[in-house]
Amino acid sequence: MKTYTFHVSGTHCASCKIFIEDTLNEQGFIKNARVNLKRETVEIETDSDQAPEILTQILTEKIKSNGYRLSVEKSATEKQSNDVIWKAIPIGLGFLILFFLLQKSGILNLGIGGQTTPVTSFIIGLIASVSSCLAIVGGLVLSLSAKVSQDNVSDTKTFVLFHTGRLVSFAVLGGVLGVVGSAIGINFTFTAILGLLASTVMLLLGLNLVGVFAKNKVALPSEIFNFFRRIEHKTFTPLIIGFATFFLPCGFTQSMQVSALGSGSFISGLLIMLAFALGTLPMLVLLSFGSASFAHGKHAPLFFKSAGVVVIGLGLFALLAGLAGLGIINPLFNI
Amino acid sequence: MNKTVYIIITIALVIGIGIVFLGGSKNNTETGGSVQNVEIRDGVQYVTVNAKGGYSPKVSTAKAGIPTKLIVKTDGTYDCSASLVIRSVGFQKILAQTGEEVIDLGTPKAGQPLQGLCGMGMYNFSVNFN
Repeated sequence: MKTYTFHVSGTHCASCKIFIEDTLNEQGFIKNARVNLKRETVEIETDSDQAPEILTQILTEKIKSNGYRLSVEKSATEKQSNDVIWKAIPIGLGFLILFFLLQKSGILNLGIGGQTTPVTSFIIGLIASVSSCLAIVGGLVLSLSAKVSQDNVSDTKTFVLFHTGRLVSFAVLGGVLGVVGSAIGINFTFTAILGLLASTVMLLLGLNLVGVFAKNKVALPSEIFNFFRRIEHKTFTPLIIGFATFFLPCGFTQSMQVSALGSGSFISGLLIMLAFALGTLPMLVLLSFGSASFAHGKHAPLFFKSAGVVVIGLGLFALLAGLAGLGIINPLFNI
Repeated sequence: MNKTVYIIITIALVIGIGIVFLGGSKNNTETGGSVQNVEIRDGVQYVTVNAKGGYSPKVSTAKAGIPTKLIVKTDGTYDCSASLVIRSVGFQKILAQTGEEVIDLGTPKAGQPLQGLCGMGMYNFSVNFN
């Protein structure tokens, strides 16, 4: 039995620690693996006779796909990840500029007059999914998807559950609006507070993706990460988040809710909201499954950091807009 | 060396974002001044604001001291500007997609501008009284 201490790169959170320990402990020749987050080392007890260099290679193979790397010497990856962030910032900013230019251009202000039918609400859904609504709903989807992929939770299942939860709750709540004919979920203060909550989550996840927490060692307490990790694995969590997007502040969603209200029956309200949710689906599916495929690809570190920059930008935008909407600060911009 | 290139690109992009945010609103203010959107009929002052993809004109100027009504016009408006909030008169409503909403502002005092926002806070307009 020998004990080695290896340097490990990429451990930026408590859940990484758990993941690495779990993976390493699964290997037959390893008796015990302990990650020290602060020193970025992993201590393993092994009965293998392999040279430490070979061992690090074997073990790196197991955890490489998640962005971790073991080495005998403190590796030069520090420098490399610094370079990644300098690439990621312009990429992220580029996407943000495109997004805001799109809003400014006025292309999205198509006039769709007349009665709201499921067909028009589907088209409005398509428009909404690339509009400023994307700042909140899309940003949230992007940040959660990237985080879920990063933590190696079974992402396909999570995304399918999220989108199903979103479609079903839009349909059912739309139907309820049609029947009840009065305002549920159209309380401005409530949606604004929910929006602030969502933008805070986006900012935290964005900073986490960029790696600010890791760099400055402002790691959130391990209990919080364990809590997140536990709820990430729960089946109902993505369903609930999908449900909650019904109430997120988005002018388009609210207009559709009013149309559903006025529609007068369960079925017509259901169809309007379902068609709207279906319209927003392509973009959101692209965001979630797109981030999953990037996350498992060669450019994963670059993707996570770029996504982080985009999410921070959208989160800040949504936060400032939300505070202005609540009358707490003066509106700073008019996009 | 690469790093320097990326930093330069980053700075350029930050300036770009600044132009998108600040440059645009300046244009709106300029056009706002030229539009005639305030009229007085039968002793009541009507201020008209169009709501679609934002509010126009962004800044209006009206007279203080006479009964005033704000008319917000929507025309196939589905975006955020349909969910209107005017905190100073306690108004919040999601406007009809097409139509006119008449909001009674009472008799405004000089120097107390009225500010309207959309529910998400990304569009706003104001009416100055003097």
